[in-house]
Amino acid sequence: MSKKREFWPVIFLTLVVVISIVSLTVVNAITKDKIVQAKREAVAEMLATLFPNMESFTYDEDSGMYSVLAGGEPIGHAFMAQGRGYGGRIDILIGLKPDNKSLQGIKIITQQETPGLGAKIINASFLDQFRGISVNEVDLSRNGGKIDAITGATISSTAVVEGVKKAIMKELGSQVKGGNS
Amino acid sequence: MRSFAKNFTKGIVRSNPTFVLMLGLCPTLAVSTSLDNAVGMTAAFILVLVASNIVISLVHNYVPDKVRIPVFIVIIATLVSIVDLMMQGFVPALSKSLGIYIPLIVVNCIILGRAEAFASKNGVLDSIADALGIGTGFGLAILLISFIRQLLGTGKLDLFGHHLFTIPGLSENPVSILMLPMGAFLVIGTLLALFKWMGVTKGD
Repeated sequence: MSKKREFWPVIFLTLVVVISIVSLTVVNAITKDKIVQAKREAVAEMLATLFPNMESFTYDEDSGMYSVLAGGEPIGHAFMAQGRGYGGRIDILIGLKPDNKSLQGIKIITQQETPGLGAKIINASFLDQFRGISVNEVDLSRNGGKIDAITGATISSTAVVEGVKKAIMKELGSQVKGGNS
Repeated sequence: MRSFAKNFTKGIVRSNPTFVLMLGLCPTLAVSTSLDNAVGMTAAFILVLVASNIVISLVHNYVPDKVRIPVFIVIIATLVSIVDLMMQGFVPALSKSLGIYIPLIVVNCIILGRAEAFASKNGVLDSIADALGIGTGFGLAILLISFIRQLLGTGKLDLFGHHLFTIPGLSENPVSILMLPMGAFLVIGTLLALFKWMGVTKGD
């Protein structure tokens, strides 16, 4: 009898954990498809802000590349990039024109930069600088690029620029180099 | 009904989680940079706290004393994950605005604090009152802190994209330090001192 009482807390905790696992599995099964669907809709919404003419898009899981289509014709590509900002990770969506040589534009998806300082990276005045420039021109102006950093938010601005630069290099490394030669 | 009201009002001033119990200061410091954040955090927080207090007050009679803390932690973590998944699946718009606060709530020790100090010793109705009261107290505190930080730190006030007003002169040269983590400590410390001096919060 005393043995039973001694083990009861262990058994109880195990039971609670099992119930927890079961209920999480059930909830996950119920919501999985809906979450995927919601994420896809969110992606479509994001892409539409960069490509206003977008009608549909396809996603290639291997390269992480979205191909944006309108009237059956590709009107551009898009992929995600990450920057390391002052407040953590900055998720950026990069849109490229169909020839992959210039930017359609970029959009900040998530950021936790300081409001009033670093969070100014979501302002149009900063993001519009990326519109239409060549992939080789993505750099801060002090490094010879075309992007002016935001006053008082150098770390956040640099994080975005470096994130975009790195992602472009990774996605189309050889093509960028080819463009230079 | 009287005890419901008593348990509710107690959380707002007398045992305000931020200014009196001084629990959960970490998320308070981190997200009190704008009113939007404060509103989002409060909503998500009240939701989880009410749910956790209900479940824990229902099961507390069966939980062996030795393992009550691990049991509470598992229950809270499960609830938070369920709320998170449900929101992502059924109300993606809400999940988009509250989503980043949900994981932060797991580490908010007020939830475990209320489970241990109140819900594990009281009935369901009183525990709901306690959760609502503590949630309101937390919400008022974080709203006040972020109001001060946003107002002085940026010189203007925005709420969910609506521009409310700008203080001329201050918006050109805002007290940016208040927007940094250090500013959160300055604001909370000053408010604590002020409330003590005014006698609003009585130290025991």
